[in-house]
Amino acid sequence: MAFSTVGCDSANAESSSESGSASLADSSSGDGEPVTLKITWWGSQSRHDYTQKLLDLYTETHPNIKFEASPAGWDGYFDKLSTQTASGSMPDIVQMDYLYITTYAQNNSIADLKPFINDGTLDVSSVGANILNTGEINGKMAGMVLTTSLLAFGYNPDVLTKAGVNMPTSEWTWDDYISMNKTIKEKAGIADSASIDPLYDTNLFNYWVRQHGEKLFSDDNKSLGYQDDKLCADYLKMWKDLMDTDIVPNPDEFAQIQTLGLEAGPVVTGDAAFVQNWNNYATLVAKSNDKIKIVTPPMATDSDAKGLWLKPGMFFSVAETSEHKKEAAEFINWFVNSEEANDIIMAERGTPVSSKIREHMVSSGKMTQQQKDMFQYVNEAAKLCGETPPPDPIGMSEVNKVFKDVGSSVFYGQATPEEAAASFREQTNAMLARSN
Amino acid sequence: MGIKKEKRLRSILFHVGACILGFIMIYPLLWLVASSFKSNETMFTNTYSLIPTEWDIIENYSSGLKGVGGVTFLTFFLNSLIVTFVGTVTCVMSSLFAAYALSRIRFRFSGFWFGCVMVTMMIPPQVMVVPQYIILKKMKLIDTVASLVLPWGFGTAFFIFLMIQFFKGIPKELDEAAQIDGCGKIGILFRILVPIVKPAIVTSSIFAFYWIWQDFFQPLIFMNTTSKFTIPLALNMYLDPNSYNNYGGLFAMSVISLLPVIIFFIIFQKQLVEGIATEGLKG
Amino acid sequence: MKGHKNLIGKLYKPRDNVVGYLMLAPWLIGFLFMWLAPAVTSMYYSFTDFNLLNTPKLIGFDNYIRIFTTDKTFIQALKVTFIYVLVLVPLRLAFALFIAVLLNKKHRCLGLYRTFYYIPSIIGGSIAVSVVWKQIFGNKGVIMSLLEVFGIHQQTSLLGNPKTALSVIIIMGIWQFGSSMLIFLSALKQIPGSLYESAMVDGAKPAKIFFRITMPMLTPMIFFNLILQIINGFRVFTESYIITNGGPLDSTLSYVLYLYRRAFTYFDMGYSCAMAWILVAIIAVFTVILFKTQKSWVYYESGEN
Repeated sequence: MAFSTVGCDSANAESSSESGSASLADSSSGDGEPVTLKITWWGSQSRHDYTQKLLDLYTETHPNIKFEASPAGWDGYFDKLSTQTASGSMPDIVQMDYLYITTYAQNNSIADLKPFINDGTLDVSSVGANILNTGEINGKMAGMVLTTSLLAFGYNPDVLTKAGVNMPTSEWTWDDYISMNKTIKEKAGIADSASIDPLYDTNLFNYWVRQHGEKLFSDDNKSLGYQDDKLCADYLKMWKDLMDTDIVPNPDEFAQIQTLGLEAGPVVTGDAAFVQNWNNYATLVAKSNDKIKIVTPPMATDSDAKGLWLKPGMFFSVAETSEHKKEAAEFINWFVNSEEANDIIMAERGTPVSSKIREHMVSSGKMTQQQKDMFQYVNEAAKLCGETPPPDPIGMSEVNKVFKDVGSSVFYGQATPEEAAASFREQTNAMLARSN
Repeated sequence: MGIKKEKRLRSILFHVGACILGFIMIYPLLWLVASSFKSNETMFTNTYSLIPTEWDIIENYSSGLKGVGGVTFLTFFLNSLIVTFVGTVTCVMSSLFAAYALSRIRFRFSGFWFGCVMVTMMIPPQVMVVPQYIILKKMKLIDTVASLVLPWGFGTAFFIFLMIQFFKGIPKELDEAAQIDGCGKIGILFRILVPIVKPAIVTSSIFAFYWIWQDFFQPLIFMNTTSKFTIPLALNMYLDPNSYNNYGGLFAMSVISLLPVIIFFIIFQKQLVEGIATEGLKG
Repeated sequence: MKGHKNLIGKLYKPRDNVVGYLMLAPWLIGFLFMWLAPAVTSMYYSFTDFNLLNTPKLIGFDNYIRIFTTDKTFIQALKVTFIYVLVLVPLRLAFALFIAVLLNKKHRCLGLYRTFYYIPSIIGGSIAVSVVWKQIFGNKGVIMSLLEVFGIHQQTSLLGNPKTALSVIIIMGIWQFGSSMLIFLSALKQIPGSLYESAMVDGAKPAKIFFRITMPMLTPMIFFNLILQIINGFRVFTESYIITNGGPLDSTLSYVLYLYRRAFTYFDMGYSCAMAWILVAIIAVFTVILFKTQKSWVYYESGEN
């Protein structure tokens, strides 16, 4: 029922009768022969539901385009995708993650979208060049970025107020951050108030490296980009000290926090003050606590290099083996740029990359306060953003694993920060040199 | 009198012990059922408690039953039932035949084939799935019910080996006697042996039912169309660590999905219940 | 009689060949298509550089050499898996046997207990189990709180401590003794009642009956369970995947979990296949040794081994 009304709206928007709408909307494929596009994405229940509605809506306005949809959970999504790719049956349109896009691109599994950008099929005029280029690998546009993510710290204002601490601003530093947490521990009696896993992946460390004016990876992706291991050792030492003074949960405690899920995490329930996440954090937990706010991560005390960067949330890629690349690109264009599509998506996948869509959504008045904050954050943080790093090297998930291991060995007291930093360099360089 | 008292005491001790152990064994199940009654917001706030602080039964079960992407949970449930039923029957039958051949019939290379049966159990399925996918694709079987049943329908090493062990426990003289009475090989199997190895067949059926019911990895890779998905694939679609998850709906459907397995077990385990076997061998 | 048996032993009757292969046919077809062809392919992959997305490139024994010479994680995963198998298998089997014998007596509510004890085996890999186990053995969990009551303060929980995390995974394995128990139960059921009756007539004590009749009659199933548990133990995946995901510090990283990561997370399928065949070799050695010992302790009514 729901989508039949949406279908009417779209027919009105294109001011044509239902039968004629397709050929008007799109000359290249509208009168064309029937095309079936295979599409796959990961997500949870609500994403599957509205994406299916989107596909139905698109078929209504483009009667020759049918979809074979394979929605999936995150678990196993990439196992399946690589198996399909290995046998030459990758779906036409694939929701792609930053972690794996380089691997797929370098093995020529995904199509170059540049021709479609050049001929206007894929309109990127309202997408910032920085974020658009995160999909560019070896000169090819391996994926159309759908959403923008920015590293963010979430915080619970009630906890800060209780301890008499001022709210953090985008100018705060790591020293402020540490002293705030100390105050919270003393005044409000909350231990582990910074509910952060500094080893969850390398994003926070990457931020740390960048704000000290260095790069995590070298330009050829064959080794680490920073020269002095002190940078890594300092990072690990800072967190180790915070753990020892019960300001940050140790890995054991954090494992327990993770089982609670995002929605019942300690920051949401008022048992901690800070969490490291992304700019959609407040939106995600709004159902459980609508007071949560986000702020940019702390600045370095001794350097004013810009640490933040625009991170692609997810991509749509088109299979190199697809026989309907053009039609696939048309659909992606509609997904990114059309207001009717985004009225259904409602930023569930993250902050849309198109500035026009963001404006449209803010002005539509349908957004929650958290969603407005999330968009606002992108606008403001852009000032604090440095150069967008090139796409992650192949083997990024192994780098994350090595980082977690060496870091954990420090937190478990089995290695000094210096030893761990050296070991991280040794293992990572060996691996990167082999696979890149 | 004393002996009777001691017997009663023993019996009480047995039941107390059995109940305590039983509670430990089913605690996660109780937790799952209780969680399926809890609201999403309070799900993980008071995790130990089996009594929900905020009840949300209707919301959980109705949102779960709604299914995914326009396909209701009932569809997944029926798919699972069909696949599991066909899979269990064919799997147990094929295994029974193979076990009978390998243990009671002397034919060329039977020892070699038994070795092959054993080796199939040893290799991790994770490295088999890509070649299997390629073969199924060539046979145009990807995204079909057949691809869900095929890995089971030809019999599996576990059951073949299990039944062989049971067959070996039966004196060969029985076969020979039956043969003299004019029984063919197939007659021997069904008239003489099957009644004796019934416990093995029941056990195999219980395992097969559960394994096929909960099979996840291969169906995940082989199936594409949502409306053909089985329950484990459907439940996996409820989850994405990076977004808001409907745990209530997930747990509610997990409870429903466990029911057939438990019911199947309760019915079939009766075959194993009636104390020590009395029929056994009558030879 | 003996001569007759020998005759059958040496010659194969044509009819038996036909019937034998006919009976084996369903499995054989499945074996050739769903197993042999993929197995040969994966063997081939093990000699290639194959990341799932490229065309496999032959590199000889490079993967095997890398595994044995440079991979510390491989050694760790191997160690974890050996400890897991050697500790878990005897404990689980002893427990399963003990409970099966207890449940084979005449008591009320046996069906209920049986069902209860089997339930862990059917909810084994679910998210509910993973949450509950973390609640019990994890930080601020039941065990930690209990120890606290007795005045023992622990810095890290059993699950969070690299020295003890594997033991939690093993305890979970013992907890899932249901399927072994079921196999023992079905074997107990098959023991002819006449054997017990005649022993009772002779006035034998329960303990004697158990060791003289029950145990020997159970040896085929003990043997079966032993082989099966060893094979499955070496292939353990789900338990460490859902509870600890191999951590902390790889202390619960099972061989197959590592192999799986190599294949699908690190895009190193060739390497992963090589690891798989090394595992097959390890399991095969154990299995063959056990089969060789069979004659000395397994008793078959049919008189063969």
